[in-house]
Amino acid sequence: MQGAADKNVLLEVEHLKQYFPVKTDSLFKPKAYVQAVDDIFFKLYEGETLSIVGESGCGKSTTGRAILRLDEPTAGRVYYSGTNILGLNKKEMRKLRGDLQVIFQDPFASLNPRQTVKQILNEAMAIQDVVEKSKRMDRMFELLGYVGLPPEALDRYPHEFSGGQRQRIGIARALAVNPKLIICDEAVSALDVSVQAQVLNLLKKLQKQFGLTFLFISHDLSVVRHISDRVMVMYLGKVVEIADKKDLFDTPLHPYTRALLSSIPVPNPELKRERIILKGDVPSPINPPNGCRFHTRCPFVTEKCKTEEPALRELDTNHMVSCHYAENFK
Amino acid sequence: MLMFIVRRLLQTIPVIIGVTFVVFFIMQLVPGDPAVLLAGEGASKETIEAIRDQLGLNRPLLVQYFDYLTSVFRGDFGVSLKNSQPVLDEILVRLPITVELSFFSILITIVLGMAAGIISAIKPYSLKDTTVMIVALLGISLPSFWFGLMLMYFFSVKLQILPVAGWDSILHVILPALTLGAGGAAIVARMTRSSMLEVIRQDYIRTARAKGVRESVIIYKHGLRNALIPVITVVGLQFGALLGGTVLVESIFAINGLGRMIVDSIRMRDLPMVQGGVLVASLVFVVVNLIVDVLYRFFNKRIELN
Amino acid sequence: MTESNKPILEVKGLKTHFFTKRGVSKAVDGIDFSLHKGETLGIVGESGCGKSITSLSILRLIPSPPGKIAGGQVLFKGKDLVTISEDEMRRVRGNEISMIFQEPMTSLNPVLPVGEQIAEALRMHQNMGRKAAWERAVEMLKLVGIPSPEKRAKQEPFQLSGGMRQRVMIAMALACTPEVLIADEPTTALDVTIQAQILELIKDLQNRLGMGVIMITHDLGVVAETCDTVAVMYAGNIIEHAPTEKIFANPRHPYTQGLLDSLPKIHEDQEELQTIEGSVPSPYNMPAGCRFASRCPHQQPICHEQQPELIEQNDGVKVRCWMYTDLWTVKMVKEEAVK
Repeated sequence: MQGAADKNVLLEVEHLKQYFPVKTDSLFKPKAYVQAVDDIFFKLYEGETLSIVGESGCGKSTTGRAILRLDEPTAGRVYYSGTNILGLNKKEMRKLRGDLQVIFQDPFASLNPRQTVKQILNEAMAIQDVVEKSKRMDRMFELLGYVGLPPEALDRYPHEFSGGQRQRIGIARALAVNPKLIICDEAVSALDVSVQAQVLNLLKKLQKQFGLTFLFISHDLSVVRHISDRVMVMYLGKVVEIADKKDLFDTPLHPYTRALLSSIPVPNPELKRERIILKGDVPSPINPPNGCRFHTRCPFVTEKCKTEEPALRELDTNHMVSCHYAENFK
Repeated sequence: MLMFIVRRLLQTIPVIIGVTFVVFFIMQLVPGDPAVLLAGEGASKETIEAIRDQLGLNRPLLVQYFDYLTSVFRGDFGVSLKNSQPVLDEILVRLPITVELSFFSILITIVLGMAAGIISAIKPYSLKDTTVMIVALLGISLPSFWFGLMLMYFFSVKLQILPVAGWDSILHVILPALTLGAGGAAIVARMTRSSMLEVIRQDYIRTARAKGVRESVIIYKHGLRNALIPVITVVGLQFGALLGGTVLVESIFAINGLGRMIVDSIRMRDLPMVQGGVLVASLVFVVVNLIVDVLYRFFNKRIELN
Repeated sequence: MTESNKPILEVKGLKTHFFTKRGVSKAVDGIDFSLHKGETLGIVGESGCGKSITSLSILRLIPSPPGKIAGGQVLFKGKDLVTISEDEMRRVRGNEISMIFQEPMTSLNPVLPVGEQIAEALRMHQNMGRKAAWERAVEMLKLVGIPSPEKRAKQEPFQLSGGMRQRVMIAMALACTPEVLIADEPTTALDVTIQAQILELIKDLQNRLGMGVIMITHDLGVVAETCDTVAVMYAGNIIEHAPTEKIFANPRHPYTQGLLDSLPKIHEDQEELQTIEGSVPSPYNMPAGCRFASRCPHQQPICHEQQPELIEQNDGVKVRCWMYTDLWTVKMVKEEAVK
C-alpha cells in the first residue's frame, strides 16, 4: 500500500457516537444507554478496503449502519467528500445513497421475495435514476455479467438461487447505481468456504474494475486478512487498534488484538502456537468498565488501566493503538 | 414487576372514564323516551314534562354526564326507572350469578380446550387429531343459542338427567357453562395445538430428547410450559366474548344474572339500570385483562429484557 | 489414542433418508467410521453434506417422519443402536452418549432454571434424589468454569451470556460422564475468544474423563486444532478419512484439496483464492458415479459411470476416488501408450 499522504480521504468519521436507550422498569432509575459506539474516529481512503473486526457487541455493524444513517447516530460527524452527511436533509441524503451502498450478511432477508431479479435491479436504478429507461435492459445484462450470473437469472425469484448466487444478486443491486463506497456487513459470513472464496474473489475483481472503496465489516479474521488494506479492531464500542494489514497481523500492539489473533483456529495441525485464552465474557455495553474497557479481561492489567482511559495514539506510521503499554509489545 | 402493575393500574383509569362516556352517550342515542315510558300510556304532556324535570333530563347532556360520573364514583348508580330501587342493589344480587357462570365456563374453556389441544399435538395429522380438530371447528362455528337448545333438548328433555333451566343447584350450572364455554374451548384447543406444535420443533426439545427425557415429560414439563404463553392471551380475550355470551345464555336458560338484567332493562328503557349493568360488566372486563397481562408477564419473564 | 483397543462406537454403512413429497433425499448414504476411547474424530464438510444428520442418526434423533434410518448399524457396547427399543435408546441418550448443539441460545429450555436442566438428567439416569442431583449440577457448573455456580444454577438461560450457555450445555451433556460426546458445531455461534475457551474446555474435560468425542464442524481450523482423525463428508458420503496431520499435509481427494485451497490463509497473502466450480448435486437426484465428478478437475469417464469405494491406502488414509485405484493407473498407462 502507498503512504496515506498521497491518497484521497473518501470518508472521515469524527466523534461518532451511537447510544441506544434501554427500557428500565423503574420510573426513578436514571435512563440507561447501550453505548454501542462510543466516540470513534477513522478515515477511509479512496480505493482501499478498510475492515472493521471485533466480536459481537463491539459496535462494528452499528458503525456501518450509523455511517449510512440507517440508524440515526447520537452524535458525531461523517464527512463524505468534504460534506458532513449527518447534516444533510432527507432529499440530499437520498441523492447521496447512490454513492453509498451496502451488502448484508443474509441476502435472502434483504431481497424482496416477490420481486424477480429484473424488478430488483430495475427498482434500484429507478430510485437513483442513474440509467435512462431505454438503456436499463442493457445495463442489467451488463451487471449480471459483472457478478457472474447467467442472463436467464433476470426472470427468476430470489428463492430459486443458492446462498452464494443470492449474494451475487445483492452485489449486482449495489453496483447498479454506480456507487463509490460499498459497506459489506458480514457479507460472506453465512456462506460455505468454497462459495465464500468465489464471492471474495468477485469483490476483489469488482473493486479493481470500478475503483470501489470497501468498508468491510467481519468477525472472520482470515477473511479480513485476505481482503483488507487496513484493519480496525473494535472492542466494546471503542477502536482499540487500527493499522495497515501487514502491521496489524505481524505486530499487533494491543493485548486484545493479540488475543483475538491467537484465538483463531488455524487449519494447520503442525503449527503449534502460543495461545492467549481470555478469561470471562465481554462486559455489558450498558455499563462499560471504567478506564480501559478491556481491563477486565486483559492479562497485563495494572491499576492505571482501571482508572485512566487510554487514548488512541499513533505509535508507528499509520499504526494507531489505544493501550497505555503498547510500546512493550513492539 | 410491581412497577409494571402500578403502571398498568394507572392506565386503566382513562379506560374506565372512557367506558362511562361511551355507555352514557350511546344510551342517549337509543330511540324511546324514558319519561314517556315511566309516565305510562296516555299521560298528559305536563306529567311527562314534570317527570323530565324531576329526573333532570332537561339539562344539557354534558352536565348530565358529569353528574352521572360523579355519582358513579361515589358508588351511586341511580335508581331503576321501573321500580325505583337503587341500581347497585340489583346489580349486587345479579353479579355473583353471572360471575359464577363465567367462572365455570372459563374453567371448561381452559380444561377442555387445553386437553384437546395437547391430545391433538402429540400425534399431529393422526385420526385423533383430525377428530378433535373437526369437533373444535364445529365448536367455533355453531351459534351458542342453537347449541344451548340442543344440549337442553338431549340432557334435560330426552335423557332428563339435568334440569332444564333456572339457577338452584350445581347441576343447573352444567349446561349453561358448557354452552358458554364451548366456543372458547374450541379456540383454546386450536391455539394450544398450534402453539405446542411450534414448541415441539424448538431446539431445546431436541436437547431434552438427547438427554434421554421420557416423551411424556417432554410434553408436559418442557413443552407445555412454553406453549402456554400465547394460550394465556387467548384465554384472556375469551373473557370479553364471555360477557356477550352471558346475555344470550342467561336468556336461554332463564338465569337471573347480569346479562339478563341488561337485556330486560333495555326492553324496558330502564336507562340507569342498563348503564349500571354495562358499566359493571366493563369494569370486570378491565380487571380481568389486567390480571391476564400480569400473568402473561409472570410466565414470560423474557419480555422484560427486550 | 490407543489404536489396538476395540472401538467404543462403530458406524457401519449408515444410511439416513428423508421421504418427502419431492422424493427421497439421501442425506446420509452409507457411511462408516469408528471411535476409540479418548479419541477425537472430526466430521467436516459444507452445509448439506450430511454431517449433522449423521450425528443425529447415532442417537436416533432424526425427526420421523419424514426421516428414517434406511440401513446400516451403529454398534455401541455390543448393541446396535439402530434396532434396540426406544426405551433402551432413551437410557443411552444423555447417559452413555451425549450431545451438544450449535445454538446455545435456543438449545436450552427458556423457562427452566439451568441447574434443573442439568439435574434432570442425573435424576433420570443415575437415580439420584432431588437434593443430590442439584448439588451435582452445581458441581458440574463449577467444573465447566462458571463463576458463582450456586447462584447461576437458579437462573434461567436468558440471564446468561452465549458462552456461559454453551458451558451449561457441556455441563448437562457430561453430567452422567458419558463415554461418547457428540459436539455438533459447538462453537459456530460463538465469538473467537469464547470459541477458544470452549474448545479448550472440551479438550480438558476429555483428558480428565477419557471420553471419545465426535466433533461435527464446517471449520477446518477447529478440526486441525482439536481432532485426531478427520472424516470429510461430501453429498452424504465420507470421501476421505485420515489422521489429521495427514489430511492437512497431503489431502488426497480433489474435494478435500479444493476445500483447503479455498480457505483464506491467516499467515500468508494471496491475490486470489482457489475456488471449486459448480455446485453440490441435489440429494434427491444423486449421480450414478462419483458425486464430486462434475466439479472435479481430474474427472474421467469412469468417474461418471461408477461410484468409487472408500479404500484404505498403504499409509492408512482412506479415500473415495478413482485416482487412487489400480484402474486409474492402468488407464493412465494405456493413455500414455496411445500417445
